[in-house]
Amino acid sequence: MRKDQNLGEYLRMQGVSRRGFLKFCSATASLMALPPSAVSQVAEALATARRPSVIWMSFQECTGCTESLTRSHAPTLESLIFDAISLDYHHTLQAAAGHGAEAAREAAMEENKGEYILVVDGSIPNGNNGYSTIAGISNHDMLIEAAENCFAIVAVGTCAAFGGLPNADPNPTGAVSVSEIIKDKPIINVSGCPPIPVVITGVLAHFLTFGTIPELDALGRPVAFFGQNIHDRCYRRPFYERGQFAETFDDEGARKGWCLYKLGCKGPTTYNACATLKWNQGTSFPIQSGHGCIGCSEPRFWDKGGFYDPISAGQWGSRDALLGAAAAGAALGVGSALAARARKKKAQAAEEI
Amino acid sequence: MSSLDTIPVCTEVATGNVEPLLHEIRHALKRLAEGKEGTVIDLKRLPLAPGEEERIAATLGTGEVRAEIDALGPTLIQETSYPGVWLITHKNADDVVVARFVEVTYIPELLRSQQADIDAGINRLENELKN
Amino acid sequence: MTLLEFASGPGLQWALWIFVFGITWRVVGAVFLLSRKDISKPRHTNTISAGLGAVWSRSSPARAFEKKIRFQHVTGYAWHFALFISVLFFAPHILFFESVLGFSWPHLPNTIILITAIVATAVLIALLIRRATHPVQRFISNADDYISIFVVLVPLVTGILAFTHFGARYETLLAVHLLSVEVMLIWFPFGKLMHMIMTIPARFQAGTAFGRRGVKA
Repeated sequence: MRKDQNLGEYLRMQGVSRRGFLKFCSATASLMALPPSAVSQVAEALATARRPSVIWMSFQECTGCTESLTRSHAPTLESLIFDAISLDYHHTLQAAAGHGAEAAREAAMEENKGEYILVVDGSIPNGNNGYSTIAGISNHDMLIEAAENCFAIVAVGTCAAFGGLPNADPNPTGAVSVSEIIKDKPIINVSGCPPIPVVITGVLAHFLTFGTIPELDALGRPVAFFGQNIHDRCYRRPFYERGQFAETFDDEGARKGWCLYKLGCKGPTTYNACATLKWNQGTSFPIQSGHGCIGCSEPRFWDKGGFYDPISAGQWGSRDALLGAAAAGAALGVGSALAARARKKKAQAAEEI
Repeated sequence: MSSLDTIPVCTEVATGNVEPLLHEIRHALKRLAEGKEGTVIDLKRLPLAPGEEERIAATLGTGEVRAEIDALGPTLIQETSYPGVWLITHKNADDVVVARFVEVTYIPELLRSQQADIDAGINRLENELKN
Repeated sequence: MTLLEFASGPGLQWALWIFVFGITWRVVGAVFLLSRKDISKPRHTNTISAGLGAVWSRSSPARAFEKKIRFQHVTGYAWHFALFISVLFFAPHILFFESVLGFSWPHLPNTIILITAIVATAVLIALLIRRATHPVQRFISNADDYISIFVVLVPLVTGILAFTHFGARYETLLAVHLLSVEVMLIWFPFGKLMHMIMTIPARFQAGTAFGRRGVKA
């Protein structure tokens, strides 16, 4: 696709009919969690959409986010979206390497100044920059340089969005999220470990379609995908209401597909689209597969107590500390009783005089 | 995908979302009959238990019209046993479902020949005749 | 640290410590007050049955007053019953108790808990309004009464909100619910909520003392 072409022209040149285009728009609207009534609006916007340049940077990460994305469930439509954006730098996916790759990145940044979208996966080591470098440049410096002239940043994955696993206690690398370093650019957090692939493409599709920042929640995540918690959209919710819980992973309740709350499911405090969009071509999601939600799209999910501790169980400390409090209370009780008795004796003695 | 399909899934689970959806379709159909506009429902945006989407399709049944569109992969358009209620399944070139809608309308927009395609067709036909 | 992390971590820790400390202090102090020797000759020696009798007889109003205090009698029982069901038989609560106590017990369906919680809240509000408007009740009420009602009412209301996901995001509502329970735990040993622990022993103690002196009451 040439840069001066819009998407409509490009698709027509590829032999995609208007019907095919409308189908693409329906699927894209569905992907962006827009109501079906928005399809004509999407079609109108997409037909004239310009191709945004995307620079993708991977910092302290495991490549799970990219793996997730390249396995997203609508290859044809996805590839159309990917054709429609210009992925100018992605060191896992690009063919170029070494100086050529870095030169491509710098050229793309220069050419699309103020307009390119910066996608980041992975956290940034902020303690010792030597923990993660690319082409001899520290992640910290590369992020600052790339962010300076971008239109917006998409922080893909919990690491980029909230620090994620590298940030887990005791955080040896001093890992931080993108938003802790960049303060003057719009940042869209697409959290998840990994994020749902169609959510990543959905956010890119939103840029492509409307060229704007989608509506975000308090944690900077797109409301369209992170607006509701897993528990509210979970098909196992009726079991919660009826008080039918799996007590272990292999009991009768587990076999019958009952609620996993008692086994530590974090669905009630986790915001993501897993329960509706699901994974692997819409096949299933963790709860459907019999394991509670671990809350991977929430900040510090790794350090919030055990994955198998129910949400309502408190981190109340040790029994010894409680016994200590009881002992201190008892001592004070005895002491105050003795003091009262002594006062009484003294008063009686005073009366007798 | 056949290996995933062979894993038996417990389908007695019910979200209770099927019946409200069918009521929504009934209301939409009434609105259409009154001359008001049609309705599109995105099935992929509803929390449904395993097997519930199939139950919806089974309840709606199959009607007289069935059409297949071949554009960016197959799209199946099936009028259900309730005239005016259409089940539209978009698949990609790998035959994987990418979107599924219930459309309450006289004729799904996608079945109509599109103006841009007609224009392109005129061009092609004229070129054909010139040669 | 998020609000929920504070509420279910350090907040809960401190509240439990103060709760346990305060209760042992007051209970031990009260037990030591009993050690005074009664040197009079006992009229009856079977003081245990007298004590149990007092626990029982004070659980319902004297016939002479029955009509006059029927409202408190009925609402009092309804309130306590509904509260106990809501607190002790809601599955997430039992998981909480299990995490502290180490054992659990069967739970009830959420719909039942929701009904008992609403009943408890409604009755408590009714009692609060009566306390604030009835001239005699108003006269004998002090700040302790109102604080004690308030610190119990807030967990009930926030609990219902958290359960129904109404008004704010669940984790916020849950955190506020936990914090309100922590306030209640902290207040518990120092106010009239101590009746939960003191009522039956106090009745028993009064009963045995009366029994020894031959007082029928």
